[in-house]
Amino acid sequence: MKKLIFIIGLFYFSPNLYSQTVVRGIIVDVNDEPLLGATILELNTQNGAVTDTNGRFQFTLQNINSSIVASYTGFLSDTLEARSNTHLTITLKEDSKALEGVVVSGSATFMDNLEPKHVEIITSSELSKAACCNLSESFETNASVDISYTDAVSGAKSIQMLGLDGRYVQINRENIPVIRGLTQRYGLGYIPGTWLQSIDVGKGSGSVVNGYESMTGQLNIEFIKPETGGNLLVNGYANSFGRTELNTNITFDLKNKWSSAVLFHANLFANEIDNNNDGFMDIPKGRQLNFLNRYKYNGERIKSQIGIHLMHDDKAGGQLGFDFDDNFKTSTQYGFSNSTTRLELFGKTGVLFPEKPYQGIGFIYSGSYTDINAGFGRNAYQGTEKTFYLNAIYQNIIGNTYHQYKTGVSFLLDDFDETYIDSTFQRQEIVPGLFYEYSYLPSTKFTLVAGLRADFHNIYGTFFTPRIHMKYEVAKNTFLRLAAGKGRRVGNPLVENTNVLVSNRKFNVLEDLKPEQSWNIGGSLNSELQLSGKKVNFIGDYFYTNFQNQLIYDMDQDANQLIIYNLDGQSFAHSLQLEAKVQLNEAFGIKGAYKYYNVKTTINNQLMPVPYISRDRFFLNASYASNYDKWEADATLQWYGSKRLPNTQNNPEKFQLSTKTPDFVLVNAQISRGFRWGNIYLGSENLLNFKQANPIIDAENPFGNNFDASFVWAPVAGRVVYAGLKYKIQK
Amino acid sequence: MRLSILFIALFGMLSAYSQSEPIKTADGFEVKILTSAVCEMCKYTIEKDLAFEKGVKSSDLDVDSKILTVVYSKRTDADKLRKRISEIGYHADEVNRVKKAYDALPTCCQDGAHGSDMPHKPQ
Repeated sequence: MKKLIFIIGLFYFSPNLYSQTVVRGIIVDVNDEPLLGATILELNTQNGAVTDTNGRFQFTLQNINSSIVASYTGFLSDTLEARSNTHLTITLKEDSKALEGVVVSGSATFMDNLEPKHVEIITSSELSKAACCNLSESFETNASVDISYTDAVSGAKSIQMLGLDGRYVQINRENIPVIRGLTQRYGLGYIPGTWLQSIDVGKGSGSVVNGYESMTGQLNIEFIKPETGGNLLVNGYANSFGRTELNTNITFDLKNKWSSAVLFHANLFANEIDNNNDGFMDIPKGRQLNFLNRYKYNGERIKSQIGIHLMHDDKAGGQLGFDFDDNFKTSTQYGFSNSTTRLELFGKTGVLFPEKPYQGIGFIYSGSYTDINAGFGRNAYQGTEKTFYLNAIYQNIIGNTYHQYKTGVSFLLDDFDETYIDSTFQRQEIVPGLFYEYSYLPSTKFTLVAGLRADFHNIYGTFFTPRIHMKYEVAKNTFLRLAAGKGRRVGNPLVENTNVLVSNRKFNVLEDLKPEQSWNIGGSLNSELQLSGKKVNFIGDYFYTNFQNQLIYDMDQDANQLIIYNLDGQSFAHSLQLEAKVQLNEAFGIKGAYKYYNVKTTINNQLMPVPYISRDRFFLNASYASNYDKWEADATLQWYGSKRLPNTQNNPEKFQLSTKTPDFVLVNAQISRGFRWGNIYLGSENLLNFKQANPIIDAENPFGNNFDASFVWAPVAGRVVYAGLKYKIQK
Repeated sequence: MRLSILFIALFGMLSAYSQSEPIKTADGFEVKILTSAVCEMCKYTIEKDLAFEKGVKSSDLDVDSKILTVVYSKRTDADKLRKRISEIGYHADEVNRVKKAYDALPTCCQDGAHGSDMPHKPQ
C-alpha cells in the first residue's frame, strides 16, 4: 500500500510490474573501497553491468535464479547466487600488484549510467593524457568543461560550464567544497594534476546533500588513496618556458587497519617570458610548495580518515624585471604579486552496518585558513578567509531498496576579511542547514531523486533549495535524464574580478549585493551502441540557466570603471552540446563535440551577450594506445568562435578595441612511452602557437588612465613544449 | 599433500612435453612456451611484462593450456624470453622460475591457489 504514495507525475512504477529479477549492489575490495569499472555479468551471458565511481551496479537478469559473476582485472572473480530486491555487497580479493594500469584503453572517460544526474567520469588514464600541471589542465581532453583565460598578467585560467563562469560550478574534493570563496580564481592552480585519481563532471544542478551552491554543475575530484598502500610515484616535469615541477605520491600501510598517503608537489618558474614584446611578462613567475598527508582507518563498522593540506604559492609578474620579493608600491615597474598560503584540516567518519549495507551514517568536516597578499601596480589587496564546514548524513531505505533516502544537517561558517587600497570588507556567514533526498528505484530502467534543503543564512535569510533528477533507460543502453534545481551562492566581487584589478578601472559598487540565485533545468540523451563492431557513444545535452539574481560585473558602461550591481532584468544561458565518441578498435579512439551557448544578461538596462563567451565551439580529440599503454598518443583540437568584448568606445581612439574577437584554434598533443618502471612523455600545449596580439591596452603607461590588461580572450604566451618522466614502484 | 600431487602432476606434464622450436613467420618469429601460469591475473602479469620486453611484438597466454605464444623480432630469442618469464616468477618450459619473483607474486598466482584439479578459468 505504501507504494501508492509514490505516484509522481505521470510515472507510476510498481515493482510488481517488473517480474524480472533486478540485481543491485556494490562491488568492493577487501578494504571495502568501491571498485570503479568492475564487471558484473549473468553467468554464461553477456548481460550485465559495469560499476560506477561508487562501485555500484544494477541490471535485470534474463533468467530468474541465475548466478552472477563479478570480475575486475587483477582481482579474483567471484560467482554467486543472484537475489533480487536486496542490496548485494560483493567483495573481490585484490592483488595490490595489479592496481596500476588496469584501465583498458577506451574507457578513459565514461558516462556514469547508474547516476540519475548527468555525470561523466574522467579516470586517471584520461588525466595522464594532459600531463601538465594542475586541475586547470585536467579538462583539456574533455568537451564539457571549457577553459578560459582571465587576464594578461596573472596567467590564471578558469573554467566555464554551460557557457557560464566557473564560479557557478561547485568544486568538491571528495565531497568537501574547495576552490570557493577567496581561492575561486587561482584555486585550480593549487591542485596538482598528479594527485588526482579521478574527476566526476556533473552537469546541471547537483545533489542537495552537498549544499545549495552548484548552479550549473559540480566537479568532484578524488585524490590518490592511502589504501593503495606501498606505492610510490615520482614525477619530474620541465617545459620550454623554463617551468619545472616535482611531484611525489607515497602511500603506505600502517598497523591496525591504518594506511597513509603523502602527496607532495613543488614547482618553480623564474624565467621572464615576453614573446609579444610589450614589456610585460606573458605569464608571471611562480613558485609553489604543496603538501597533503592523510591517514585512513578501515574498520569493520567504522571507516575514518583525517588529513592536512598545506600550500604556499607565490607569483610575480607585470613589467619585466619585477621579482618575487620586490615591493610593488615602491617599484619603478608595474608589478603584480600574489602570495597565497592555505592550511586545511579535514576528515570523514563513516559508521556502517555490515548486515545492512544500505544503511550508514557519515560525517564530513573541514576547517581551513586562507591568507592572500597581493599587489596590482600601486594597489594592495589583502584577504583572509576562515572556513569551517560540517556535513552529517544518514542514509537508509524505506521498507525495501526501491525506496532510499539520505537526510542530514550541515553547518558552514565562513569568515571573510578583505582590504583593497583603503576599503575594508568584512563578512561572517553562519549557515546551518537541513536536507532530505529521496530516491525511487523501482527498476533498473528508472530512477527518480527528489531533494529539498533549507539553509538558514545569518545575513541573507532562509534559502529553500529544491532539486529533482530523473533517469529513464528508453532503450537498451540509451538513457534519458531530466533535471531541475535551484542554486545560490554569495559572491566575492573582489577576488572574482582579480582580472580587472590589473587595470586602472575604479571599482564602483552601486548597492548592497545580494546572493546570486538561479534555476537550472535541462536534460540529456546518452546512447552507447555497437555499430559494425565499433563502440559508439552519442551524448546530447541541453541546459537552461535562468538567474533571479546575479552580480553584474559591468565593464561596458565606462572603460574607466568596473560597476557592480544586482541584476535588474533578464539573465539566462542556453547551452547545447552534441558529442560523439567512436572507439575504432582497441587502440584508436576519436571524439568530437559541437557546443552552442546563447548567454545573455542585462547590463545597464540592456539585454546583451555576456562578454568573453564564444557562441559556437568545436572540439575534436583523437587518441591511440598500444597494448598495456606501451605507446600512447593524444591530440585535441578546439575551435572557439568569436566572442564579444566589453565596450571601449569612451577610450581615446587609439585605445579602442573592436567589439568582437576573431575565432581561433588551439591544438594540444602528447605522446608517451611506457616502461616497466613508469613512463616518459613529451607534449605541447598550443601547438599551432596562436597568440592574442596586443593583449594590454596602453602597456607603455601602466600607471596611466587607460592601462588595462583584462581584455584577454586567448593564450598570451604561445606554444609551450614540455617533457617529463614518471617513475613508479608498486608494492 | 595436495601440493605434492600437484608437483607430481606438473612434473609429469613437463616430462611429457617437449619444448617447441620457434617458427619463422611473416613478421618475425613465433614460439610457444609452456608456463606455470594459473589464472587471468598471471596472464595479465606475463603479457604486460612482455609488452615492455625488447623485441616482443605480441604475446598471448592461453590459461587453460598454460601455453604462451610470443611473436618477436630478431632483437631477441626464445631463450631470452624464457629467462624473462622465469624472472617474472613462472616456469618457462624447462627454465625454472626465480623463487624470489615467484614469492612476490599475488597469492592467486601461486601454487594451489585455485585447487589442484581445477585451474582458474576466466569469466
